[in-house]
Parts: sequence; C-alpha cells; structure tokens
Amino acid sequence: MTALEFFLISILYFWASSTALSLGIGYYTIYRPVVSGFMTGLILGDPFLGMMTGAVVNIIYMNFVSTGGSFKGDQCLTAVVAAAAAVKLGVGPVEAASFAYPFGYLGILIWKYRLNINSIFVNKYEKDYENGKNPDISFYDGLYPQLLLYVMSSIIVGAAFLIMSVFDNIIMDYYENIKLFLFMAGMFLVSFSVINILSNLKNKYAYLSFEIFFLAVIIFDISSYWFFLAAAIILFVLSNKSIRIHNKRSNKNNNISNKDLMYSWFIWMNFSHSCYSYDRLQGLAFAHSMKNIFKKLYKDKDEVSRAIHSHAEFFNTEPNMGTPIHGYIISVEEQSSLNANHTDTAYIKKGMMGIAAGLGDSYTQVVLTPLFISLSVMMCLDGIYIAAFLPILYLAGSILFISYSGWMNGYYTGREYLMERINTVKNSKVKKHFLHIFSGILGVAAAKLILSGLEPSNTVYTLEAVALSAAAYWVIKRSKR
Amino acid sequence: MKNIVLARIDDRLLHGQVVVSWIPNVKANEVVIVDNEYADDEFMSELIKNASPENIKVNLFDVAGAADYLKGEDDGSRILILSRYIENINELINLNVEIKCVNVGGLGNVKGRERYLNSIHLSSRELEILKDISKKNIAVEIKMLPNDKTVSVE
Repeated sequence: MTALEFFLISILYFWASSTALSLGIGYYTIYRPVVSGFMTGLILGDPFLGMMTGAVVNIIYMNFVSTGGSFKGDQCLTAVVAAAAAVKLGVGPVEAASFAYPFGYLGILIWKYRLNINSIFVNKYEKDYENGKNPDISFYDGLYPQLLLYVMSSIIVGAAFLIMSVFDNIIMDYYENIKLFLFMAGMFLVSFSVINILSNLKNKYAYLSFEIFFLAVIIFDISSYWFFLAAAIILFVLSNKSIRIHNKRSNKNNNISNKDLMYSWFIWMNFSHSCYSYDRLQGLAFAHSMKNIFKKLYKDKDEVSRAIHSHAEFFNTEPNMGTPIHGYIISVEEQSSLNANHTDTAYIKKGMMGIAAGLGDSYTQVVLTPLFISLSVMMCLDGIYIAAFLPILYLAGSILFISYSGWMNGYYTGREYLMERINTVKNSKVKKHFLHIFSGILGVAAAKLILSGLEPSNTVYTLEAVALSAAAYWVIKRSKR
Repeated sequence: MKNIVLARIDDRLLHGQVVVSWIPNVKANEVVIVDNEYADDEFMSELIKNASPENIKVNLFDVAGAADYLKGEDDGSRILILSRYIENINELINLNVEIKCVNVGGLGNVKGRERYLNSIHLSSRELEILKDISKKNIAVEIKMLPNDKTVSVE
C-alpha cells in the first residue's frame, strides 16, 4: 500500500465515520459497507470488487440501528479492511468479509471514546463563555472535534493496516489452506445475520416472502433487475406524494430570510454529530445551527453570544425527522427578539426532541435505510454495480427532503407541523408494507450471494455453514432466556 | 393493581431507545407517562399521545392521576412507566404503587447534576432518593439499553 492510498483511505474512513461534513447523508450512504467498500476499491484500483465485498459485509450489518450513540461493531472499518483484502490480496469477497470482521471491534473504540473526548470541547466552550470571551461555537462544535476525529481515524486505519500487513504473508503463503475456513466463517456470519433479522421481524408473511423469493432465485436464477423494477414500482405507488415545502412569507416583519433558514439547516446537517458528547449529545450542534440566525436577530455581540449559548444545553433527536423543532424554535426566537420578551424554549425543545427521535429512528433507520441499502446490496451481489447506486441516491434524496421540509415547515407553520409529521409517518404505506418488501429483497440477495461465482464444490460447505449458524442462533437464543 | 414491568427515568420520555429497545425487551404493551407539566399542556399531551408506537397504548398523567390509574384493576396489560424526574417515581412508590424495577437512563447535565455514567447525570439528592428506593427492595438499575452492563444502586 502506498502512502497516497493510506492517506486517501484514512480520509475516507474519517469522512464516513464522522457523519459530519456530508450534509447529514454520509451516515446513510458512505458509512454503509456497500458504499465504503466501493470507495476503498476505487482508491485501490478495483471499485466493483470493493463494492461486491462491501455488499457481503453489508448483509452482516443489515440490522444495524444506532440510537443515542449506541453501537455494535464498526461496519465501515470492516468494509474498508475487507475491500482492501479483496483488492490487494486477491481474497474472495466472502473470505475477505470474514477476515475483516474482527476489525469492526477496533472501529468501535473511536465511538466509545469520542463521546467522552468531545466533553473537552464542551467544557472549553463553557469556560470561555463564563469568562466573557464570546467563544465562536463553530470552532468548538465544528473544527476542533473534527480535527481530533481525523487524527483518531487515521490512527485506527493505520493500526488496521499494520495488523493486516502482518497477516499478509501468512494469508498469501497459506491461502489455499485457510480459504475454506474463511469462506465458511463468512457464510456463517452472513447466514447468522439473516436468521437474526428474520427472527426479529416476527412476522410469518415476512418469512414466507423471504422463502418464496429465495427459492425462486435459486431455482430459476432470475435477474435482480426484475426485482429492482418491481420494488421501484411498488415503492412509488406506496410513497406519499402530498408533502409540500412551505416557504411563503405571511408576515412582513420577518427578519429571517429563506436563505438564512437554508444556511442554518446546512450547518445542522453537516455538524449535527460533530461534537457528539455524553454531556450534551447534539447540544452544541443545535447552538451552532442557530449562530447565523442570532447574528441576524441581534446586533450586540454579547447578546448574540448569550443567545447561542442558551441553546447549547443537552439536546438529542433524530437529526432529519426532528427538524420541525429547529424551524419552530427559530420562529419563536425571532418573535421574542421582535417583542423583546424572552420565551422559555428549553421546555418546548425537550418535549419535542424525544418524540421526534422515537418517530425518526423507527422510520429513517429502521425502515428507509434497510430498504434501500438492501436493494443496492442485492444488485451488487448480482454483479450489477452502476444501477446499485440508484437506491442509495434515492435514500440520500429522501433523507434530505425529510430534513429540509421539516426545517422550513417548522418555521412557517409552527410546532403543529411535528404533529402533522407524526401522522404522515404513522400512516406511511411504505412503513406498513416494509417487512414484506424488505424480507423479499433479502431473500433475493441471499440467493444471489449463494449463486454468485461459488464453485459447485462449495455448495456443501455453504449448507454446513448455514446449518451451523442456525444451530448457533438457537443455542444463543436459548441461553439468553 | 396493574402490572408494571418497568419504570424508566429519562429526559426524552418516549424516544428511540425506548421504542426500539426497551418496549420489546420488557414486552410492554402500554406506556404511562408521568409528567405534571406535560399533562397540563394541551399541545404536548396531544403530541405525546399521537406519537405512540403501533400497538402501544400511551397515557399521560400527572403524579396523582397516574397513581389512581395504576392502582386500577389489572386488565392484563404490561405497563412501562416513563418520567423525566426521579421524584415522580418516588412519589408513586410512596403512594403505594407497586413498582418492582426502576431503570435510570439518559438524564442530561443540568446545574447541580454530576456525570454518573455515560449520558446519565445525577444530583446528590437524586442519588439519595435512588438509594432510598433501593432500600425498599426495589431494583434500581442504571443503564441506557437493555444489553448494557447493569450498574445497580444500593
């Protein structure tokens, strides 16, 4: 590996795992193995092999949900290492995925300490504020934590590749001997993940959907283009096309322009998890997003600093679904600056943030992400790479639309918009039929993985790995009871 | 007396961790939110009830109302109590509501509170109340998610 390759990969890993500086969609796109695998492959010279490997890793992490900074393993680092092993060492995708799996635990170190370390910036900001220094929130929420994160990410990537280089020779010399072991371990992980997902769905029609699509593909080897087309049509029919973005000004007194609103949304989307800490979670990010608004509302520097600081307390919500809160708070702050009376926004924020988080996590992370990512994975495992980007682009677009429309509508129509949003999500037909569509896609993906370039001699081993994982799952479930 | 499977103290009340992790974990099918301020606020109470997850009944009461409701006849539902304040849960216990397990998770850093564990901050008074609760043979566990390591207060 050259120094340039290392540098680019460390930037990639930093960018993907920071979830910042990517307009809020990095977490749904570049952080996902199918995309980070592609990008690693691009850097190392074989993008589609990287993407295929990433797709295998992605199945292992398909049921991944993060709520309030809780994490299992780092899927992005696993994908980076797996793609590098596949491209540089010529290891097969399944073998690469199992080889890279333990590295996921190296990756969570960052998440574990990041929430602790970021408290440094929170404390420094508080101290500067108390000393009347009018601290610039963009440094404490943006620049400093991101710089530190870059250093941490490159150390982790460095460590991962150092460990990998130790294994390089062993793998190259004995690959033929351990190939079977890695292959079976990879199939075991994939199969374990699929069994886990299906059993958590707890829906017999979802099992049926999985079985039907899985068997249909195994027996008839149908191209995944057909399933992609069918899913696209079904999702289009089910999707809600009535959501509008309000941006008509009714009140001539407004100081805040649409451009100001857009800019503060832009800051929020880029930095919502930038200084994620145990004490405040997204508190500093909320304050950061209000900076340009208060600069517009108040002329006095101390007053601007005080107003920003008043929004730096503990805040946590689902960053896209929760944006009506921000829009609404901006309108409240604008009114209180005009009437020169102070409204207690802390109480409103706290009440709304939990609700938006519960609503948001159960939709963006639990429904939209697995739906579109699994579509992409399915295409990759069938060797269709370019079209595999379509679901990812669509997912990114949906996330942006959800967050932007919430921001604007929260400002223009008030806190009632959160109520409207709750009802929209509750009545979502995509959500209602999610289980059946998703398990069907998963069935196709699993079948495609088994069919994709596996030599017939591997069939028995695949069956053995699947049987082993089923047995392991059963044992673990029983021991937990 | 209704069947209370868990009482959780959390700033964010009905949020992601509760909906995605705790409700399935304790197999709850009803949530009772105990909050004097929100019970008084029409918009907030409508918002909270509207946001209830599928197949989960959500009720919002002030402390006295919650005690009355919880002491009603057991209709087979499994209730998860949520409150922002430890004091509210303590009052329920003092009003003889039968709570077997108190879970503390997600309390923000406000004045007077010190960091106890990850995003859980407690004031010395709140810690005292928790210790008192635990003396009444009620399990007091400090943890964010069901699979996290349990830190017990004794």
